[in-house]
Amino acid sequence: MNLFDSLKAILTIAYKEFVHVWRDRRVLLLILVLPPFFTLVFGHAFEGSNVRDVSTMFLDADNSPESQKFAEFLHGKNVLDALVEGSDNPDKVRKDISDLLQNLKDTFIWKKWVGDAKGTIDLVQNGADAAIVIPEGWGKSLQDGTPINMRAVLDGSDTNTAPAVQALLQQALGIFQLNERYELIKNLPEQVVDLGEQLSPQTQHEFSSSLTPWEFDTQILYNPKLLFVDYVVPGMVGLILQLVTVTLIASTITREREVGTLSQLLVTPLRQSEIVVGKVLPYLFISMFLIAGTIAIGHIHFGIKIHQPLLLSLVCFLFLLCSLGLGLLISAFSKTQTQAIQFSVFLLLPIMLLSGAFAPLSQLPGSIRIFSELFPLTHFCRAFRSVNMYRADFGFIAADLIALAVGAVITCIGAAYLLRTADD
Amino acid sequence: MPKPLIVLTDLAKKFGHKAAVDKISMSIGQGEVFGFLGANGAGKTTTIRMLCGLTKPTAGRASIDGLDVWRDRFRIRSKFGYVSQRFSLYADLTVRENLRFFAGAYRQDHINEKVDRMVKEMDLEPYRDSRAGKLSGGYKQLLSMACALIHEPALLFLDEPTAGLDPVHRQQIWDFLYQVTQSGTTIFVTTHYMDEAERCTDVGFVQHGRLVAKGSPRQLKQALGGDLLEVHVEPPMPAVLELRKFPGISAVDLRSGRLRIHAADPQALVDQWQQYWPFPGLKFLGYSWVEPDMEDVFNAYAQGRHSPNQVQAALK
Repeated sequence: MNLFDSLKAILTIAYKEFVHVWRDRRVLLLILVLPPFFTLVFGHAFEGSNVRDVSTMFLDADNSPESQKFAEFLHGKNVLDALVEGSDNPDKVRKDISDLLQNLKDTFIWKKWVGDAKGTIDLVQNGADAAIVIPEGWGKSLQDGTPINMRAVLDGSDTNTAPAVQALLQQALGIFQLNERYELIKNLPEQVVDLGEQLSPQTQHEFSSSLTPWEFDTQILYNPKLLFVDYVVPGMVGLILQLVTVTLIASTITREREVGTLSQLLVTPLRQSEIVVGKVLPYLFISMFLIAGTIAIGHIHFGIKIHQPLLLSLVCFLFLLCSLGLGLLISAFSKTQTQAIQFSVFLLLPIMLLSGAFAPLSQLPGSIRIFSELFPLTHFCRAFRSVNMYRADFGFIAADLIALAVGAVITCIGAAYLLRTADD
Repeated sequence: MPKPLIVLTDLAKKFGHKAAVDKISMSIGQGEVFGFLGANGAGKTTTIRMLCGLTKPTAGRASIDGLDVWRDRFRIRSKFGYVSQRFSLYADLTVRENLRFFAGAYRQDHINEKVDRMVKEMDLEPYRDSRAGKLSGGYKQLLSMACALIHEPALLFLDEPTAGLDPVHRQQIWDFLYQVTQSGTTIFVTTHYMDEAERCTDVGFVQHGRLVAKGSPRQLKQALGGDLLEVHVEPPMPAVLELRKFPGISAVDLRSGRLRIHAADPQALVDQWQQYWPFPGLKFLGYSWVEPDMEDVFNAYAQGRHSPNQVQAALK
């Protein structure tokens, strides 16, 4: 019977809190419109992870037939006939080459060369992100047996672009070299072929192997198309909900403190725990609705597949509970609403940057990752991705679920404890 | 004296080094209307908040019906109602929603009937579905009292319930309080209005956190020491200023156009003035002897013209 009384008391508070949100039309509009809107905008903003439209200055200082051929290749023309002919699987090679050419076209926007080919090259002054120079004598050096290096100048301040461009150039040059090798073999004089046949079959095979490029047969698991959006949408949804839950609930207790209703509340026989649970309930209801809505947008609009919806719901539920507990703790701790919002902002900043919502946690040093483990969003992102991308089961994400549950309990108990007096 | 309901024993509260309440000891009997008087910042609100279990006493103790106000605060919460100094209800909830909320919070049964009855008793019928924040000051206060009384407590704390209200609403609230006391409810009320203090069965004066006097209004007025001299002088405003400087006069209050003189020997002043009126700019129109009222008592304490020892002696 006592439990039934408690339940009635909790519902009394929950109803009142719900009415507060429901009657505050501006806040209601904000929480109903912004999360889906942000999901759309952020989703499109981070949809593609490929480096695109790198403004690049190009200079062919050599102007030899070889350099012209490579320049044409870089600019997206297929000059690799020998490679296709010499291959055992011409269809695959043709496809790989066309992918590479498309990638080159997407990556570079070619700019007129400005300045000195040999001296220092300034990118910023010339409005470029990269510069590529084929040095004088390059074509000739290939025939001398002493190939000289090409020159690439990249902007290291953009830590994403520079390595991507470098890797693409290296790949392009490698393929180009392979094509030249096949061309060389094709045009070998008869004598060389005869000489070769005098070698032992073993040596012949080894020689042949060493001339064939050795490759990985790469298989990409979990996110085979390497769609960044699949990775980033859970992070975004979590971040948006983290923001909404913490800021929404952070003002609930402080508002009562400021207006004076907290004193009125605390002279009633309501228990602190009943107040806390009663305050969390309606926000939990609202935010569960919101998270379902934003995930639905990810599914419908961005085509993100949802696996194991029940387990995902549990992840969302515990995450929201823990976030609301955190917000409530801030609320019970702050003296004014302004203070509560300030605390929330200062807390949300590290959460945004260190929780792995947008970049993998593995990029952070170990000492920093200890902090990451304190944030509910970290556990949410990891658990959500584990379930949805790796098809992990309950046991695999148990640690994260326990962390979220413990966080929820600790923050709620803390908030209830801080409610023991109305002292300000 | 009726059976004591509230007992304070050296109750004290310090904020930092400042003593807001300084060892107050007193008891308030069941069924009394206790008026707690004092200047702003004297410690009235802090005392009420300690009694309601909203803030922890630094030293001393207080009990309500034998239960400690801090240690047993959860157990006594259903026994009293509390109307705080400023409007402390949910402005975005309607009158009935506020009442329903507090009825639920006090774990009442038959909530609908209780709310409807309270709405009727408090004359809130026309506003039952208005947002509480939109009510006028008087109705806000009536609603606050209704919320504090929804669980029919035996004790009601009111912190300046009539501050800033017009005389009609003040009257209405006191009429209602009188009605409440008829069922035996004890009332602990702070106020600045001395005509309201007259309505109390018992009054306590607090100054700088100390209780300087406690007794019925009659006792306190008697402790002031006999009738006061009231003179009729025109024009009154400059007269107040002139007379305050006159030797032998400790204070002058203007009351309904007459000047109340506090002096060690008022009879001597009258004798002197009847022979020679020393203020050529003022017209002396007559004098009379009046019984002191609670405002005189309050002024005497607030201006420090009565030391606690004097009062205690007079009360005995």
